[in-house]
Amino acid sequence: MLASLDQSAFSTWLLSSNSIWAYPTVLTLHTFGMMVLVGSALMIDLRLLGFGRGIPLSSLERLFRVMWGAFWLNLLTGTMLFIADASKRGTQPLFLIKLLLVGSGIATIVLIRRRIFDGTNEPRVITGAARRLAVTSLLVWSAAVTAGRLLAYVG
Amino acid sequence: MPEIANLADLAHVHMLLNHFPAIGTIVGLALLLLSFVRKNDHLRKASFEVIFLIAMATMPVYVSGQAAAETLKGLPGVSAEAIVTHNDAALGSFVMMEITGFLAWLALWRMRRAGHSTRGLTYAVLVLTVLTVVAVTRAANLGGGIRHPEVEGGLYAGIFGGAPGRPLLSAADLKDFVLQHPFVWPTCETLHFLGMSLMFGVLMIVNLRLVGWFRGMSFASVHRLLPFGLMGFGINFITGMFFFIAASEQYTQNVAFHWKVILLMLAGANYLVLTVYDEAWALPASAEAPLSGKLLGASALVLSIGVMYFGRMLPFIGNAF
Repeated sequence: MLASLDQSAFSTWLLSSNSIWAYPTVLTLHTFGMMVLVGSALMIDLRLLGFGRGIPLSSLERLFRVMWGAFWLNLLTGTMLFIADASKRGTQPLFLIKLLLVGSGIATIVLIRRRIFDGTNEPRVITGAARRLAVTSLLVWSAAVTAGRLLAYVG
Repeated sequence: MPEIANLADLAHVHMLLNHFPAIGTIVGLALLLLSFVRKNDHLRKASFEVIFLIAMATMPVYVSGQAAAETLKGLPGVSAEAIVTHNDAALGSFVMMEITGFLAWLALWRMRRAGHSTRGLTYAVLVLTVLTVVAVTRAANLGGGIRHPEVEGGLYAGIFGGAPGRPLLSAADLKDFVLQHPFVWPTCETLHFLGMSLMFGVLMIVNLRLVGWFRGMSFASVHRLLPFGLMGFGINFITGMFFFIAASEQYTQNVAFHWKVILLMLAGANYLVLTVYDEAWALPASAEAPLSGKLLGASALVLSIGVMYFGRMLPFIGNAF
């Protein structure tokens, strides 16, 4: 199954086309999506950890939309990159670890949104539980970026 | 993508820019000293701004120096040893310059928030600027020694250029360190991506606030996050220089790198304006930024995405790994 993806016309085009619009552009869009998604998550985490206290949480609500946009962009470009190299990635432990970390990162964002940004009133104090969630999110996203970047170097 | 500069052009750029770090730092120091004499915070702010901008401009001076070295290598009458000595002195002074520029930025940021300059940071910048002037004039003088035999007989020729001894930092050692340990390059790449995300997160909030897409936050409250952006930039500056020093030929002749440096300089100047921007400072949560603020915000976003684009395209438009 994985091998048939590797040998698909799409995979051949993505990898062997010399066009800048093939592999380079898909990879760049994937990087852009990562930067937007992780950058936004880091900002929310920092705010919950007490940096930029003057920024009302309600004004950061729009960041969640940005993050979902970036997530869908990366799901799409990531799928394209996976198809191009399916039999290698599909059996590579680091790739599966990366997917798990991204999934966990998304879970932390969903939890932060539900528990802290409930849309009603501005919380006066950030609770210990919220801070722990922010630290977890910070660590998980950093680990996800690390795993993703190392995919280029680990066999 | 069409080439915008070849090695000879870059060697020319090195000639054009290489006096800026020495003279610019001296001007910055003079302004800073004058600010003490006149007890004037405007002068002090100007001195920090000059020092920050010169620290930015030192980056193209250093990288174009590698191109100059590549063109000069092997020419008759050019001593390879003199180039190495200059390169190591330049690297040391480059590091000093960036630390000084970082502190000058921090002083500006504090100044904007406090409404006046703060003593600790001002003295730290003063001391570091003096040390940077010494380091950078020495590097400049050693650079002059590569191709200026006409001054060799002077009575004072040896003052700066004399036997250098073992340099504090050796570009060759750094290159070996990066290339001989297989973990260094991937580690730097990982940090480079993390630094990029941190930096862009800050740029997104601050600039989308200026553009008007984010509402309900005062400019002063998002200004608080700017040091994190500079921290991300610092991580990327250091790791990026590791790549450059380890494999400079991949970059000096890479048009994507040329564009990246140009956009980076513009983005840096933009960040400085953002840091000290008076019209936006007083913006309450609900107010729209003036047109200048919107343009500033939009250009910052375009420039930073451009820097990311050309960085990611280094292996595809050019030949870097």
